[in-house]
Amino acid sequence: MIRYRRAWMIGSRAVLVLALLIIALVPVFFSTYFTGAVAVKVLWLGLAAASLTFLAGQGGMVSLAQTALFGVAGYVTARLMVYESMSPWLSALLGVGGATAAGLVVGGIASGSRGIYFLMITLAFAVVAYLFFSQVSTFGGHTGINGVIAPPPLDNPTLKPTVVYYTCLGCSVIAYLLVRYIGGTPFGLALQAVRDEPERMNSLGFDVRLHRTLGFALAAAIAGVGGVLATWQTQSISPGTIDVTRTIELLVVAVIGGLYRLEGAWLGALVYVLLDTYTRGLSGRFETWIGIAFVLIVLVSPDGLTGLLARIDRVFRRPVRRRRRRRGGAGGPLTPSGRSVA
Amino acid sequence: MTVETAMLEVSDLDAFYGEAQVLDGVSFELRGGSVAIVGRNGMGKTTLCRAIMGIAPPEAEGSVRLNGRELGGRPSHVICSAGIGYVPQGRELFPSLTTDEHLRMIGSRLMSRGRWSVDAVYDLFPQLAARRRLSAAKLSGGEQQMLAIGRALLTNPGLLLMDEPSEGLAPAIAEELLETCTRLVAEGIGLLVVEQNLGVAARLADRLLVMISGRIEDEMQAAALLGDEDAQRRYLGVEALAGTEGP
Amino acid sequence: MATRWGVLSRPGLVSRGHLGAALAIATATAAILWVLFKAFGAGFGRAGNVPQFLVVGLNGLSLAGLYFITASGFTLIFGLMRVVNMAHGSLYLLGAYIGLSLTDDGVPWFFAVLLAGLFVGAVGLVMQQLFLRWNQGQELRQALITIGLSIILADQMVAHFDPTPRTIAPPEGLTGSVGLGVYGLDYPAFRIFVIGAALLIGLLLWLLIRRTRFGMVIRAGVDNSAMAAALGVNVQLVFAAAFFLGSALAGLAGVFGGTVLSVAPGQDDKFLLSSLIVVIIGGMGSLAGAALGALALGLVEQLASVYLPEDYTNYSILLTFILLIIVLAVRPTGIFGRPE
Repeated sequence: MIRYRRAWMIGSRAVLVLALLIIALVPVFFSTYFTGAVAVKVLWLGLAAASLTFLAGQGGMVSLAQTALFGVAGYVTARLMVYESMSPWLSALLGVGGATAAGLVVGGIASGSRGIYFLMITLAFAVVAYLFFSQVSTFGGHTGINGVIAPPPLDNPTLKPTVVYYTCLGCSVIAYLLVRYIGGTPFGLALQAVRDEPERMNSLGFDVRLHRTLGFALAAAIAGVGGVLATWQTQSISPGTIDVTRTIELLVVAVIGGLYRLEGAWLGALVYVLLDTYTRGLSGRFETWIGIAFVLIVLVSPDGLTGLLARIDRVFRRPVRRRRRRRGGAGGPLTPSGRSVA
Repeated sequence: MTVETAMLEVSDLDAFYGEAQVLDGVSFELRGGSVAIVGRNGMGKTTLCRAIMGIAPPEAEGSVRLNGRELGGRPSHVICSAGIGYVPQGRELFPSLTTDEHLRMIGSRLMSRGRWSVDAVYDLFPQLAARRRLSAAKLSGGEQQMLAIGRALLTNPGLLLMDEPSEGLAPAIAEELLETCTRLVAEGIGLLVVEQNLGVAARLADRLLVMISGRIEDEMQAAALLGDEDAQRRYLGVEALAGTEGP
Repeated sequence: MATRWGVLSRPGLVSRGHLGAALAIATATAAILWVLFKAFGAGFGRAGNVPQFLVVGLNGLSLAGLYFITASGFTLIFGLMRVVNMAHGSLYLLGAYIGLSLTDDGVPWFFAVLLAGLFVGAVGLVMQQLFLRWNQGQELRQALITIGLSIILADQMVAHFDPTPRTIAPPEGLTGSVGLGVYGLDYPAFRIFVIGAALLIGLLLWLLIRRTRFGMVIRAGVDNSAMAAALGVNVQLVFAAAFFLGSALAGLAGVFGGTVLSVAPGQDDKFLLSSLIVVIIGGMGSLAGAALGALALGLVEQLASVYLPEDYTNYSILLTFILLIIVLAVRPTGIFGRPE
């Protein structure tokens, strides 16, 4: 037994190091197409998903507005750059700022509701944002805005996949570390306490809505960065990138990865983009299969792939204990490690 | 079936809230008439009622037999149809329903199988008849308890399961309700009552079961416990000495 | 901690709720006055704007009727089971496609609407029995499951039905227009029929819930399903029946909507959104709330498309969201919603 355990611990660590190495050297190992199209998409989709994972995991807010906020950043960036000839960096900054501001407003409204009510209000916002951008001519209506050019070191992403990849990787790492850091600050701790015990926190004098709103705005900023990067990569933005299908897609990505571990966002994005890129052609009904996979994950492993991996890891690490446990089980579904979501 | 079966036979009943075990191998019998289960707060009395009725939570395991028929693990509505009428702690009336609707919502199959009908309940509790159209939330405590008993009777049960029937009622009103319950028992209905108040329990049943930490610890005659202050202190705590009404 | 982050503690006596409510009411009043001014400002004559106001108002009412029929099923299912059925829009579109296929095959409209309702009700029932029944109480998980099912349904509908937008032919006798008797106006007969149907469905649902034993049992189940079960009610059966009914209403609405508007991919999302907004405004689980919410949404959408200043008509969709904000600012659980 003990030997298996050691082998597992060494093996799993080796796999982790290898994975990090591969992530760091994607442009070396893989083709230009893979780096520029697939890996970059994984990173910005992962960023958008991470904003949802942060909200769900630390704030207990499962939001469907993240794709829309992602779109707000992309649209503001594209609009300022293409129509107002503003500098790409400044327009990107304003784009992220716009998403944050929108996040403050939406968060301010939705923060009064919890659980499924929150889900519904954010979905309503997502659809309204989609309809808004597809109708308003200032933002290009149905065609969207084309001809976005990334700032100098990146220029044309198709020609410089390596630079774009490392830019996206840098943003992802910063976002990851930032969210991890915030989780340990007084604000982050209060946010988690608000997630678990809103009434108690309220009686302790904490402004529950304000905490949730600020958490939402932070997530909006992260989603916004993802939106800007996506707009740079595709050099355009259109309503199709933020419609309900995309909104659901982001939820699928985050749930596949696991709503309670930040790494899950990028893992989910990796799995989804790989499937999307390489298996969409195999079956005429790709969406059906994704839907089935999504339902299965929600039914079988509500904490997604990262939750599954963590459980496997725990089984191997611990000495085998065969103590009969009473019925009842640990926690509810969707609430691993005592985190309540509803 | 030559051996006489008990009306209610509970054996080895365990119940859990998540990981916490609340009932630990509860076993007892009721052969007609009435039995009261007494014990302090938090000893598992209400959990026992819910477990018998098949209401989750708790998660219950074990055997509950009514007239020989196994009901353990069956859904609540089957248990009710089998003949247990439940009068829960705190009445648990439906705020969206009027008094009359509380009675009329009972299934016609249950209502027509015995002597209790809506009119019979109104005869038993004339006060309720005057409050027909009122939302149940607007009734007084005593009227609410009457309604809770009335709707349970409408399912024409062989056994009435009452959880803290006197809780929160003025002494005079509690007295009136106890009177009605004793009359029902005299007319042949079985009664299992769970009470914190020894005085009330002794009024309703001669046989008392003492519950401590999820187990039936002792069985006594009501008169014996009433006369034994030491046992009262041990089983029920100082606050529940005989003669005191209400908590 | 509390001192360091004192900024985030409650401001004390200042109540943001009342300020929000005051602003919200002021905005709503201003909007109503503006519409009234535009409608009646030029007098009541034939040359004025009253005829246009009447037509737009009727458009709003018929749209509200559609929204109500759809949302009533949604709110029924939520009210009883706390299930947010995110596949409600998909069930609506499925109903529309079935209605379209049936009428294409020559089935009379009234039979088609009935069959579509029954079939979609059965689909909803299967959905509930297979996926939702054993997850009761896990609201978020159930919502996610129905989202997954809506992905599958949407894709399967694209596979099985022609995705070109089509319209269902209205039943015979309701194809043309009828005169309104004022200002010499004509109005599509079917749209008036939709308003009537919505009223009828609302009335029937109200009678069902208020006047029948099934309704009493439903209300008892909403209040306290464990206690209802302990009184001999087979709550699972009631849940199944309610899910069937709620889904059937979505299918029914699909045929109405497919006749007034169109049958096309994307309508599922549109009607899921309208149902969400209607019940968020009206209050989850309340029939009267669904009626009021549908009325508000339908009228705001139609009036905004006409009465917004010319350069801003593109922004009419934002008004829907503003409507939502106004209601939530005054009543966070909707107009008829019970506190959570």
